[in-house]
Amino acid sequence: MEDNVILRLEDVRTYFFLPKGLFKTIVVKAVDGVSLDMKRGESLAIVGESGSGKTTLGRTAIRLIEPTGGRIIFDGKDITHLKDENEMKMFRRNAQIIFQDPFMSLNPYMTIREILEEPLIIHGYKDAEERKEIIEKSLIDVKLQPPEEFLLKYPHMLSGGQRQRVGIARAMVLNPKFIVADEPVSMIDASSRAEILYLFKSLQEKYNLTFMYITHDIATAKYFSDNLAVMYLGKVVEYGPSREVILNPKHPYTSALITAVPDPDPKNRFIYRKVISGEIPSAVNPPPGCRFHTRCPYKFDPCDKSEPTLIQVNPNHKVACHLYNKK
Amino acid sequence: MSQNVLEVEGLNLAYKTVRGDLLAVKDVSFSLKPGESLGIVGESGCGKSSTAYALMKMLPPNTSMFTGKIMIDGENIMDLDESELRRRIRWKKIAMVFQGAMNSLNPVIKVGFQVAEPLIVHENVPKNEALEKAKELFKLVGLPQDFINRYPHELSGGMKQRVVIAMSLVLNPKILILDEPTSALDVMIQAQIMNMLKDLRKTLNISIIFITHDIALASDLCDKIAVMYGGQIMELGSSEQVLLDPKHPYSAKLIGSIPTLRSDKKLEFIPGAPPDLVNPPPGCRFNPRCPHRFDPCDKEEPPLYILDGGRQVKCFLYKMKGLGE
Amino acid sequence: MSTLSEARSEFWRSYTSKVGTFFIILLTIISIVVVLTMPLDFGTKYWSNPIYWVDNPKASPPAWINTLMQDKLIEHQIISSNAPAQVEDLGGSYMKQYILTYDFKYSQFPSFLTFRLTNLVFYDKPPIIRVYIVRPDNKLVSILTYPVTVEGLNQTSPNVLFKSEPKRFLLSGDPSLFRALSDFLYKEFNIAYSPEKVSNIGVEKIIFGIPQQDGSFKPLNGKYQVYVLMYCDNRDDSIGDVAMVFGGKVYGLMGTDTLGRDLFQGLLFGFPVALLIGLATSILSTIIGAALGIVSGYVGGKTDLIIQRAADIVNNIPLLPLLIFFTFIFGGHLWVIVFILVVFGWPGLTIIVRSMVLSLKSSNFVEAAVAVGASSGRIMLRHIFPQVAPFILAQLIFYTPQAILSESALSFLGLGDPSIPTWGQILDYAFRNGAVYLGYWWWILPPGLLIIFSAITFVLLALGLEPVVNPRLRRRR
Repeated sequence: MEDNVILRLEDVRTYFFLPKGLFKTIVVKAVDGVSLDMKRGESLAIVGESGSGKTTLGRTAIRLIEPTGGRIIFDGKDITHLKDENEMKMFRRNAQIIFQDPFMSLNPYMTIREILEEPLIIHGYKDAEERKEIIEKSLIDVKLQPPEEFLLKYPHMLSGGQRQRVGIARAMVLNPKFIVADEPVSMIDASSRAEILYLFKSLQEKYNLTFMYITHDIATAKYFSDNLAVMYLGKVVEYGPSREVILNPKHPYTSALITAVPDPDPKNRFIYRKVISGEIPSAVNPPPGCRFHTRCPYKFDPCDKSEPTLIQVNPNHKVACHLYNKK
Repeated sequence: MSQNVLEVEGLNLAYKTVRGDLLAVKDVSFSLKPGESLGIVGESGCGKSSTAYALMKMLPPNTSMFTGKIMIDGENIMDLDESELRRRIRWKKIAMVFQGAMNSLNPVIKVGFQVAEPLIVHENVPKNEALEKAKELFKLVGLPQDFINRYPHELSGGMKQRVVIAMSLVLNPKILILDEPTSALDVMIQAQIMNMLKDLRKTLNISIIFITHDIALASDLCDKIAVMYGGQIMELGSSEQVLLDPKHPYSAKLIGSIPTLRSDKKLEFIPGAPPDLVNPPPGCRFNPRCPHRFDPCDKEEPPLYILDGGRQVKCFLYKMKGLGE
Repeated sequence: MSTLSEARSEFWRSYTSKVGTFFIILLTIISIVVVLTMPLDFGTKYWSNPIYWVDNPKASPPAWINTLMQDKLIEHQIISSNAPAQVEDLGGSYMKQYILTYDFKYSQFPSFLTFRLTNLVFYDKPPIIRVYIVRPDNKLVSILTYPVTVEGLNQTSPNVLFKSEPKRFLLSGDPSLFRALSDFLYKEFNIAYSPEKVSNIGVEKIIFGIPQQDGSFKPLNGKYQVYVLMYCDNRDDSIGDVAMVFGGKVYGLMGTDTLGRDLFQGLLFGFPVALLIGLATSILSTIIGAALGIVSGYVGGKTDLIIQRAADIVNNIPLLPLLIFFTFIFGGHLWVIVFILVVFGWPGLTIIVRSMVLSLKSSNFVEAAVAVGASSGRIMLRHIFPQVAPFILAQLIFYTPQAILSESALSFLGLGDPSIPTWGQILDYAFRNGAVYLGYWWWILPPGLLIIFSAITFVLLALGLEPVVNPRLRRRR
């Protein structure tokens, strides 16, 4: 494996087994065969609607959920089914997560200092002075200044944007290499989002961090991530550099997604936006063949029979669609 | 000249809280013609939902002040008492789809019946006639007619939202208020619903007030846009005016902070947080975060200036124009 | 922590909290006072020991009831003396005379009469005691002649008798007194009643009354002198305390039961006992229930299954038959009751806490703690527990009155610990002795009301705490 690939997902599957009644079990195939490589310092946006599996993918990537199949290789090490506590702890130092909800992601009974110190205490930083230094530096990094002012506060005393920064500081405090950001700005006011996203960018540059950025908002992906992966019903249907994918979408679903999102344009009210009918099918019984075929305007013969695999159409630009298999 | 179906003048609404009186809506004025749609756009705590509830006169028990004029079809509903409102105005002249309404559907009653209920209960329409009307409405909102026999749990989010919109239309109101109707829905379903609303506008010639935090979404439906901040309307004008040439610094920054798929720009943001409505900053409520702040901004509140084309802006930058309120 | 002061102000807002807090402070103060002033073995040493109460009137209402009555009920009086009024030298022997004065001013007769000697000391020969009563009409009644007898005389050291346990003469049933009164009636009033007839009439009527034409006796009010004469050989012979108990029909602050036990003391002792039972039971079962709920909810898997099944089984076992069974085997001791209540009290909380933990488990800050590498134990303690703690506290307070009422119910069914005066015990004894039919209201109402009062106190507190614990219940300001 190349040295600069920090995370490799090989055909990762995450299924949820829900008991139904006394004897049956429903299998929800949230992530159903995803393979990705992430290079050090890269930011990758995972875009999809609800039910696409993007949230599950993010949590699987940092082993908050154990995958049902496939492999996860982080920094050269196979962590797919890691059980050893110490090794797990080592991994956790290097891979962190930032959550969507700025309030629910912070324990309301802990002060900011306690919240930020906890990771350090767990990982054996015994010297209180050292911890204080690290915490203050991380608060400065997320632009919560002066840091002393924030340490003794409780989460409910801060605004949503400030709490989100505390979440980011907590993820940064152990100096990780890889961060999963799960819808980090969707609960922040529109006019404050870019501030947080610029913060991510500056942290990424300063510390050579790798970001997996999960979102339903494809437009932000264009501004803040190097690469973009579009997910539909547990699979990646398109992958490539963000600008390329957005300006030149290959997969019908990606196009539909882009068409559905309005830019602020007064002409919008006079036109009917071209929209794909129907809704996302259930992940319990995904449609056979290409999962999107039930709604795809370009469906043709092979689509309901065999599943398309990701093939390269342009440098670094891959699509999983039978339309491109002819080439 | 068409009469305004809705005229709001000097609306003020305050709530009593532990820390003091919270002035949620201050001096809000706008009007609406028949068939016209107005978007009220703003971020958390700007007072847009409060304004909507005020228009329906559905006020919480801790309301401490509620003044102004609300003229619906030429009648000031501020003078009417609760029973009058219920009898003649609510749902009949003006109806509202609340935020999260799709989750408040009664789970044990068929959706067709829930839509027909106001007809049966308030208008004494016989049951099968009412259900026929429900079927019509379902068609209007893009639902198959046999869905009237389904229960809410049998419907997806988008379908439930259509049911709720059908419910609001059952007594043929002239004004429909929609409070964040698509915020819980996926992008593609949102687009479907917006297309349906565009259809409704044409078919029913109904006036719509569309409340959202997403100004791009407002552009998808609205003729006029009012930008609210800190409980006040900072800018009010046609969609063309506000979106293409925003005058108020806040509107400009808000539009600038929206990432666009089809054009390239430097994404902007506004540092800081929305104001505390119990103790708002002195002068213009936006002044602490405004990049164009100058001398009078933190001393007195700017009045609403009227510019060419009927545009209203609440900003001292436009004092130079020499126009009064 | 501002949420703490916020919680406090939320709690204080309602009327119920203020009343509840006031009551619990009252309960606590009374309990502390009782623990400091009364002996801790009061139950076994005094309450269960009928002899301690023998001088009290039986089944009597409280003394203050006289303030409400026209025709006042006779008060209970014990007149005593510890020094002779007069010592006479009879040449070779002595006569020590003790005088007790009784002012009889009621329209009813004393309910009983008891003569009591304490701490008799003699050196050589045992003395002889004689008791006489001189009535206001100057008639003399011979009450008692008692030659002191004791086996195994000790010549050298002084003999001390009746020091730990006084010598009591229950005159109301004394056959020799019947005979003496029969003679008295014949001599003084020319009435010929046999000793049996005297015992039927009652000695008190004869001593303290004047026989009427129709055979009844009218109370003779006035000052009565009781003369206690000790004939002894040694000048130093003495009686520590000489007393005559004139049984009343009322007694004390709360009256007495059929054993003559002072209900005021019994009820008072019940305060700390009730608090102890209530709090001990609820604290123990809350700790167990909450801990199991948190572990079950968070750890999940087999552990969860086992704990849940255990909780279901225990929850569905009928409590009462088992209690009867256990008290049958181990006897009705207080700790057995507490043990059983705890063992069967925890499942309710476990089930609720578990469901709270299940929803908390998926909240972001718990996920964040996992992502940061926290151990399960740390997460349960620092992240989960603080979220459920307010609820657990409210449950604790809610469960206390249940425990108090359970104990009262158990005692009432006769399954309690009879040696310790709990309010339930007192009620039980009252019912058994027909207090309802006999109209002994002072025996039934106070313990009943106290049980209710203590239960209400905790309920009020719990109600006051509810909006703090469950923010959805908070009233809008």
